[in-house]
Amino acid sequence: MMKKLSLAALAAGLLAGSSLNAAEVDINAIVKQAEQAAYYAGEDGRSAARMMITDAQGRKQLRQFIILRKDQSDGGDQDMLVFFSRPADVRGTVFRVSKHKDRDDDRWLYLPGLDLVKRISAGDKRTSFVGSHFFYEDVSGRNTDQDNFTLLEETDSQYRLQAVPKQPDTVEFTRYEVSIDKQTMLPMLIRFFDAKDREYRKVEALKVETIEGYPTVTHSRIQDLQNGGETEMQFRFISYDLGLPDDIFSERSLRNPPGQWLDLKE
Amino acid sequence: MFRLSAVLLMLAVPVLAQTTSQDEWQDWGAEDWDFATQTASTPVHGFAELALGTRVVDSPFHSGTSLQDARLRLESQYQWNGISLVAKLDGYYDGVLDNWSGRTRELSAQFTPLKNLDIKAGRQILTWGTGDYLFLNDLFPKDWQSFFAGRDDEYLKAPSDAVKVSAYYDLVNINLVWTPQFDPDNYISGDYFSFFSPWAGGLIAPQPGLSAQTPNNDEWALRLYRTIESLELAFYGYDGHHKSPKSLTETGLPTFSRLRAWGASARMPLGAGLANLEISHHQSLDDGNGDNPRIPNSQWLVLVGYEQELVTRLTGAFQFYLEHTSDYAALLTYSPFTQWETEQNRTLVTTRLTWRNATDDLSLSLFAFFSPSDEDAYLRPSLDYRLNDQWSLAGGLNLFSGRDQHSFFGQFEDNSNAWLRVRYSF
Repeated sequence: MMKKLSLAALAAGLLAGSSLNAAEVDINAIVKQAEQAAYYAGEDGRSAARMMITDAQGRKQLRQFIILRKDQSDGGDQDMLVFFSRPADVRGTVFRVSKHKDRDDDRWLYLPGLDLVKRISAGDKRTSFVGSHFFYEDVSGRNTDQDNFTLLEETDSQYRLQAVPKQPDTVEFTRYEVSIDKQTMLPMLIRFFDAKDREYRKVEALKVETIEGYPTVTHSRIQDLQNGGETEMQFRFISYDLGLPDDIFSERSLRNPPGQWLDLKE
Repeated sequence: MFRLSAVLLMLAVPVLAQTTSQDEWQDWGAEDWDFATQTASTPVHGFAELALGTRVVDSPFHSGTSLQDARLRLESQYQWNGISLVAKLDGYYDGVLDNWSGRTRELSAQFTPLKNLDIKAGRQILTWGTGDYLFLNDLFPKDWQSFFAGRDDEYLKAPSDAVKVSAYYDLVNINLVWTPQFDPDNYISGDYFSFFSPWAGGLIAPQPGLSAQTPNNDEWALRLYRTIESLELAFYGYDGHHKSPKSLTETGLPTFSRLRAWGASARMPLGAGLANLEISHHQSLDDGNGDNPRIPNSQWLVLVGYEQELVTRLTGAFQFYLEHTSDYAALLTYSPFTQWETEQNRTLVTTRLTWRNATDDLSLSLFAFFSPSDEDAYLRPSLDYRLNDQWSLAGGLNLFSGRDQHSFFGQFEDNSNAWLRVRYSF
């Protein structure tokens, strides 16, 4: 039976006569592996992050925060807490996301000045994350079921895929291209194209380090090629498989941050 | 304090152009990742702010200036033996009242004596409930004067001197707040804004402001809550006093009569947005039958709300609110001024439109209160602009109008104002 199948696949490959063939490369598997590498490394994770936002006029702003993440299942539901410490006017603000595969994410924002736990309606995820050029969706990960992927090119080191949204009216791009490193399966470059097929937005991984066995992007950059401006993001104090308990992903942590898990050590 | 803030503002101006240089990014070494959880240093943060407001209509009681603050906020946080200490201090000159003030906004200690128990003691801001600018079960003190004058939203909540005990269980989470000494709202008293007094038979603005007799009793507030999937459920209790001086003592002084409240709320995603429902029963303990004209009757409060993103970065929200007064016949029978009593069912509709620009530094908001039963309204358009990590600007209007001089918003018509704030954060 196995023999018959593989023979059939070989025959199909020969008939197509191309090195770029779906029978050789399982695109779906690549997409899943890339998602796993970029957003689901380990069972949980912690990282300090900082962003430098440069607007079109060259003016700069900083953001600094700690992210705690826990996966309910690989490629599935995920809990996340983001504790802001910079700049001064957002210090103490906490963002909480409960990411769901089968329904809208639950999102809350804690505003310490008012002691207010503000729930945020589902809304558009392709809007600025705290004033940066990153979208909420870039931080939490775009659901891969929302796009159709095709393989554009395979080199010795990379796969280059094209993604076309299944619901084009919900996003501002008509397609994007993502280059995935074959060794780490991390997306290294994502280029977004508009309706006139102009590249207007570019996300790049600038530095990858292997931390506790997981290849991790520790420096990335996003550029607005249309209006100018960019945001650089750096990660440090990264740790995986800490054994974060489920119950810290709750309202309690907004008012009383779990110090034990925010104590940064390299 | 004022001098210091003025100096800070002036010093800060030349820094504006070079706030965050590229060098700072390069120099961001390991030691510079200064997170609040690290105890090595206790940095002081805060802001300096100038706020100005002016009446947009003539008032027979007040000059044109409705807001004139020069404020310096200093805050710091310190971890000591598992105790988290927070101090937030405000020093400001209030030009409307022509006085200098120092206020402690927060001075609290929070610790976790047991794995599932948190205690926070001291001066703190407390908030719960699901309403947007409407409070049914949140009976912590509010500062309506600041709200109507155009101070930052933060100042709508006045601090409590309280002990908050939070316990977390699989079945339910519990918050219990004990305030040893009753904390009233900073109510509209006349010094800032005029208001309608049925006892005076018209608008008044006593100078200095009306001073009510504050009881020496304590307050208890309770919340039980649980989140099931995306549904947030809560039950509330309160035992204390009405937060505004709606009552008169036997000798005719304004005071806060006793109040007990029970309520519940639910909040969940619905369609593309969020829906919330909240109810509360306010039991006026000193006027159980509703026949004492000096003391408000018991009430049922109901709130239904919905919020949804309409188009990218534009969010719309709607609330319907009902105040049903119990024993209304008794109230009318004993009221010395039935012509000024609110209707048995006071209804209120609010809408909020919020738009943010793509770079997330400009936000425009229009909040509107409209009461079909009272035929009055309150509009709060505002604009917030963040120039950079240090400087921000805000401006807006508080516009009151009503058919009658005695209705909830109608009484404030002469206090309609425009305001502007400039803030430097550090």
